[in-house]
Amino acid sequence: MRDARAPAAKTVIRRILSSTLLVLYALTLALGLGLGSAYWAVGGGYPFGSIRVGPWTVWSRTGSREADPYARAVMARTGDTPLGVGEGLLLTASADNSGQSLDPRCVYRIGATTPQARLWTLTLYDGDDQPVVTDLARSGFTSAEVVRDGDGRFSIVLSRHAQPGNWLRMPETGRVSLALRLYDTSVAAGSAALEARALPSIERLECAR
Amino acid sequence: MSGWGRFLLATMCGLMLAGIVHIAAVLSVPWLSEQDAFSRLRGTLAADRSEIIAAPGKETWLPHPDPAAALAACAYNLDEGPLRVSARTSPIFESLSFHARGGGIFYAVTDRAALRGVLDLIVMTRSQLDEAQANEDEDEPSHDVRIVAPRREGLVIVRAVAPFPSQREQAETAAKSVSCVTEPVSGRR
Repeated sequence: MRDARAPAAKTVIRRILSSTLLVLYALTLALGLGLGSAYWAVGGGYPFGSIRVGPWTVWSRTGSREADPYARAVMARTGDTPLGVGEGLLLTASADNSGQSLDPRCVYRIGATTPQARLWTLTLYDGDDQPVVTDLARSGFTSAEVVRDGDGRFSIVLSRHAQPGNWLRMPETGRVSLALRLYDTSVAAGSAALEARALPSIERLECAR
Repeated sequence: MSGWGRFLLATMCGLMLAGIVHIAAVLSVPWLSEQDAFSRLRGTLAADRSEIIAAPGKETWLPHPDPAAALAACAYNLDEGPLRVSARTSPIFESLSFHARGGGIFYAVTDRAALRGVLDLIVMTRSQLDEAQANEDEDEPSHDVRIVAPRREGLVIVRAVAPFPSQREQAETAAKSVSCVTEPVSGRR
């Protein structure tokens, strides 16, 4: 009798051990995957709700009550205070018309029109999301400052070297991105009025090696 | 159950729990973060005027600041009563946005909505609004613009944009001269 019980007790112990291991495995999986995916989703920019119009990206709901939980988490993590719907509209670009990333070694032309707004600003940012600092103390243009031609069209040149007209100096190296802010505008994200034709294009002219 | 069956069951349970952990983690970020705008501006809760958080040519913690815009903020807590926000407009573009703590923007307005050069609004909770409406004199209804805040804690962000660099100081002055005063609840005025 004693001989028959001993193997049974062994199997029970083995079952308990393997169950414990499986429970531990499930919990590790849950924590690892759950926290990892959450970090991945909110660790960068706003993950959902972006609309692409030409080279520009707009987040349609971050400035409204309908901001999704991911956007709220990103705002809380970065301290961002987006423009509210009715206040203005933010458009960002990190690539040119053809979809190639903006490169500080290249020359770009931005123009020639923007959607109707009381005031707009165009800003060049560095890799740390701060306005570029160059010895010219200019990191962007406002709609009032920009020099226009007779038809009210403008063109801003991004280059490391001096250019006639509206010139924004590129930093020497690093990642760059652009932001166009339309203050007090009637166009809303996702509306038909926001089309690529009405927005400034970002044309790559030449690149230094 | 075979070893494989048990392993599969454990994997399924793990995946389902991972989903719950993911949702809980994302939803808790706004409450746990110390980096969000409200936590950083907690020190301005008692102030009666908006305080500059970003101005042209100055360091700021805001990501992607607009170099032409001056931003100022008032943090509020509606426990003591509604918040009256008044801004005197100037030729400089100015706008106000109302943020709930961890809840995004619930209202935004530009100086176009100003009456006789003054933008005057009251932020209150739903119950404060009910109370104000109950106390109101029917013959003399209040003309205040009342905004219901979804949460008791939040921020008012003031933006003033200078079209030319020479107007940046003016924009900064405009941004920081918005008054945010807690009012006792009263319908009669």
